[in-house]
Amino acid sequence: MSLNIEKVEKQYKILATGTLINALNGISISLENGQTLGIVGESGCGKSTLARVISGLEKPTVGKITWEGGEIADKAKNHLRPLRSRVQLVFQDPYSSLDPRQQIGAAISEVLTVHKLVPRNQVTARVEELLSIVGLTSDLKNRYPHQLSGGQRQRVSIARALASEPDLLILDEPVSALDVSVRAEVMNLLIDLRAKYGLTYIFISHDLAMVRYVSDVIAVMYLGKIVEFGSWDQIIERPFHPYTRALIAAMPDHSIIGNPETLSKTLQGEVPDPAHLPTGCAFHARCPISVPECSIRVPLLLEISPKHYVACPEVSE
Amino acid sequence: MSTPLLSVENLAISTIQDPRVLINDVTFEIYEGEAVGVVGESGSGKTLTALSVLGLLPRGVGVTQGSIKYNGIDLNAISSEEMRKIRGSEISMVYQDPMTALNPVMKLGKQLREVIESHEKADSSTDQRVRDALLEVGIPDVARAMESYPHEFSGGMRQRVMIAMALILSPKLLIADEPTTALDVTIQQQILALVSEERHKRNMSMLWITHDLGVVANLVDRLIVMYAGRIVESGTVKEIFTNPQHPYTYGLLSSLPTTADKDRKRLTSIAGVPQKPWLVGQSCAFAPRCFKAAPECSSTIPQLVGTLEKSVSCFHPIEANI
Repeated sequence: MSLNIEKVEKQYKILATGTLINALNGISISLENGQTLGIVGESGCGKSTLARVISGLEKPTVGKITWEGGEIADKAKNHLRPLRSRVQLVFQDPYSSLDPRQQIGAAISEVLTVHKLVPRNQVTARVEELLSIVGLTSDLKNRYPHQLSGGQRQRVSIARALASEPDLLILDEPVSALDVSVRAEVMNLLIDLRAKYGLTYIFISHDLAMVRYVSDVIAVMYLGKIVEFGSWDQIIERPFHPYTRALIAAMPDHSIIGNPETLSKTLQGEVPDPAHLPTGCAFHARCPISVPECSIRVPLLLEISPKHYVACPEVSE
Repeated sequence: MSTPLLSVENLAISTIQDPRVLINDVTFEIYEGEAVGVVGESGSGKTLTALSVLGLLPRGVGVTQGSIKYNGIDLNAISSEEMRKIRGSEISMVYQDPMTALNPVMKLGKQLREVIESHEKADSSTDQRVRDALLEVGIPDVARAMESYPHEFSGGMRQRVMIAMALILSPKLLIADEPTTALDVTIQQQILALVSEERHKRNMSMLWITHDLGVVANLVDRLIVMYAGRIVESGTVKEIFTNPQHPYTYGLLSSLPTTADKDRKRLTSIAGVPQKPWLVGQSCAFAPRCFKAAPECSSTIPQLVGTLEKSVSCFHPIEANI
């Protein structure tokens, strides 16, 4: 096991009202080296908070995260640096994650000098190498982010993340902001890089089709909890949790066409306010198969078949 | 099918100063009760096409050629006063972001009443019509909703209010510009189901703009695919999805992962980025990225030829069902 997330909780306090929000509510996942974990869920489910906690950008309120045996949180910031350089994040919008007034080359070389990764006289050569790794020509290094296309900008973000030779790359909606025809190229690049450098990925998206495409294992999140966890074919082909089933049904998929009936098979209601979580199972009010007990008992994530975990006692085949 | 409800012919739109062509030679029809989707990436001209129908092009951008006829009326030729009468009551629109389309400091009930009052004299039934409109789009507590401000609602609920507002005067044509893009998938599905139900119930025509082929696959009857300001292919949903002929449509479809792809084969990508419409010149805009490009593709603009069922603008279309 290389990445271990143990009973992680993350609370935020709304300063104005003092209300506590449970963004993560007891998350446990372990991921082996070289695997890709897909995390799927709708806004407010805690998937981006989880990314920030795993990367060490934020500390969990409860629980711990270990990477190759070393704990990511709970360490003084300076000690975190060597570990952090091995865990890197790629954000959704490269336009806001890159400094608009910094040239591309400088954005990448900054990583190399901060982490003292290569001797000064080799920085330029390494920047050019990183650009070529992500499929960009070295003459782009003197450009500014606004002079690049969306796809090129996201490639720069990936090059920047790769600069510190990470083992684990956390990809938070990496293609969602890109035009459709450009997405496939960036996805292919990510898959090639994974094979070439033996990277471990955590791929976060609201788009189940993309998650399914890259992941070995998938976690479905709802309001700060994992409701189902399993291999990609278990989650897509044999989903158990009613929320997973609803997500799959709602996924815009052009393999089914001209059938308006498919639109009506949908969940009622909306995701509840995380500041006022429902009692029992957080999904019960929208659930098509809920029974009265669902509003009282908190479902446990149980293994229903080898390595397939579901948090719903009511569901059956 | 008799005469179309909306007929756009050879439409060209460009910036007024330092003319840059944004849309060129766009021709399509929408018949009564028919839903047409316009698919394209950013900069393809899909939103400008929609806005031009309502006479709402941004400042500095204008129609330079062609006509837009609604029910036989040339919308380019009428006064802004006459256009205002059509807008909202005959043709209405739902925007992508309800938070910017709704007035943040006006109660929702008043905003809906305003739509009615701007077209007809308000009377004792006005409030009831507002209540009915909100009820119809699935707003739970209507009395409270009328006294609420937009920020008190979730994104999905705001979009429902926008739809209520667009439908309140029973338009014959609804134009929707990516109204579900900002929503979560399960909420998106709810909105699509609502719109689909309303349009069938009212026999309303629809023009649905989107970048997401999956969204329109089960919503519209026909599709128009735009690329760099021109229509590259159009046809019935079935024709476009099962038998794409333009290499761009073909590439777009094969670049999307689907659940039908059991072995997760490598995604087909389209190399390069779209050209700016004004830089294209006398050639097919897709030629630099096209795997079927031949010399004539870079010297002549291909014309859209075919039928309502299927039209394509390509010198070397992909053969049927390969």
